Amino acid sequence: MIQFDQVTKRYPGGNEALKNLSFAIDSGEMVFLAGHSGAGKSTLLKLIAGIERATSGGVLVNGQNLSKLRPSQLPYVRQHIGLVFQDHKILFDRPVFDNVMLPLNIIGFDRRDAAKRVRAALDKVGLLGKEKSMPIHLSGGEQQRLCIARAVVHRPSILLADEPSANLDRAYALDIMELFKSFHQVGVTVVISAHDETLMEDYGRRIIRLREGQFAA
Amino acid sequence: MKHFLYLHLLSARQALVKILRQPFGSLLSLLMLSVALALPLALYLGVESTQAWVGKLTATPQISLFMELSAEDADLAAVKSSLAGNPKVKSVSFVSKAEALAGLEKRNGLDGLAADLDSNPLPDAFVVTPVTLEPGELEMLQKELSGLPMVESAQFDASWAKRLYGMVELVRHLTLFLGAALGLALVLVTHNTIRMQILAHRDEIEVSKLIGASDNFIRRPFLYHALWQGILAGLIAWGLTGWLVATANPAVREFAQLYNEQLELRTLTPFELLAMLAATGVLAMLGARLAANHHLRQIEPH
Repeated sequence: MIQFDQVTKRYPGGNEALKNLSFAIDSGEMVFLAGHSGAGKSTLLKLIAGIERATSGGVLVNGQNLSKLRPSQLPYVRQHIGLVFQDHKILFDRPVFDNVMLPLNIIGFDRRDAAKRVRAALDKVGLLGKEKSMPIHLSGGEQQRLCIARAVVHRPSILLADEPSANLDRAYALDIMELFKSFHQVGVTVVISAHDETLMEDYGRRIIRLREGQFAA
Repeated sequence: MKHFLYLHLLSARQALVKILRQPFGSLLSLLMLSVALALPLALYLGVESTQAWVGKLTATPQISLFMELSAEDADLAAVKSSLAGNPKVKSVSFVSKAEALAGLEKRNGLDGLAADLDSNPLPDAFVVTPVTLEPGELEMLQKELSGLPMVESAQFDASWAKRLYGMVELVRHLTLFLGAALGLALVLVTHNTIRMQILAHRDEIEVSKLIGASDNFIRRPFLYHALWQGILAGLIAWGLTGWLVATANPAVREFAQLYNEQLELRTLTPFELLAMLAATGVLAMLGARLAANHHLRQIEPH
């Protein structure tokens, strides 16, 4: 499903974020990425999503080698991936409903079915009553749920979450983790990064630990 | 395919609604564009309207040969036979002094003028249609004919018309130049409008790119916005020139009547209107495309 083959990512300026990294994540697996800020967690997720490209090595996602795709093809890879951002990246100029609708517009979903899908996704994260609210009126935890609803509304096969619980208190963070677990249970490949390992250890899943762009011992 | 068309229709509609919803901001740029477009358009219509008329004047140059007032019938006959034998002369018509006076009375509503005059002040005249249309040869023929016995003067009727024709040509070139310059202005103004729009929608573009929107998807609403802006500006410019033509026409008619001519400024034909709207639409989209290509590249991810 996801395979890294001797992947190195060097940013302009010489900063090496990932160093010769090889690993694989099976289809339907739930994996945690651990490490301090700057360890390379975000870069790794960005490589899977095709937001950044590897300097060398191969990144295989759903059987496609992203290193070999033309830049114009990368958006279509992203359409099969759900992304949850640490800073939510919610659009504050439109209501909750329209935020979740955005991915369906992009993949060109039929309009009537799309509304049902949006409500289903909002229901899943517990925001169904707030579809008409503006995001500015949501709490931090609710904004993160909105971001998750947007990430799953088009039913991606891979869900990537970059520090989804970073700014939340523990109770909220656990709620969010339970949400991800429920997506994993219906067959979605889930990769979650966090710097707080105590949350992950309760789940007994594989943890990939990074330090300075390499596997931590 | 159906879905593709649907997406385009949706983008087109959303872009139009957006323009109409913020009437003040879009009205200002629309007005600016349409006033700029109305100028070459009005010139074009002026040239097109007068061209047929001016062309008619110059296409059949005639030389009027006015005889001395004292010319006798024998002199007229001599000139007539000399004209008939001239290979450079295509046809000749004779206007006697009596006919000329009658014509003058009739044209200007001066009935009874002849009765008030002691003698007819008008000369006998030959109207000569030459074979050639070439200005140099016409002038030579004019000189030759003015040298005939008892001929007072040979007037080349087309000379003033030629000057007018030259002026119309000049205005036509000016129209082309202005059209090109303002076409460029249209591209630049839309470029700027779309640039501002892209910057205003930076967050939306960034998020859309992150969750899988292709460049085409992101560009589409901006291109439609530009298309509508171009078309609406063209329509307003059309309205402005229509109003201009309507207000100018009474004066033009009056002016033409001084020369016993029928002249009216016309408005655009449906075909010309469509062509103009297509041109403004395409130019606006070109500006938008340039802006989009430039600025979308600056928004991460690439």
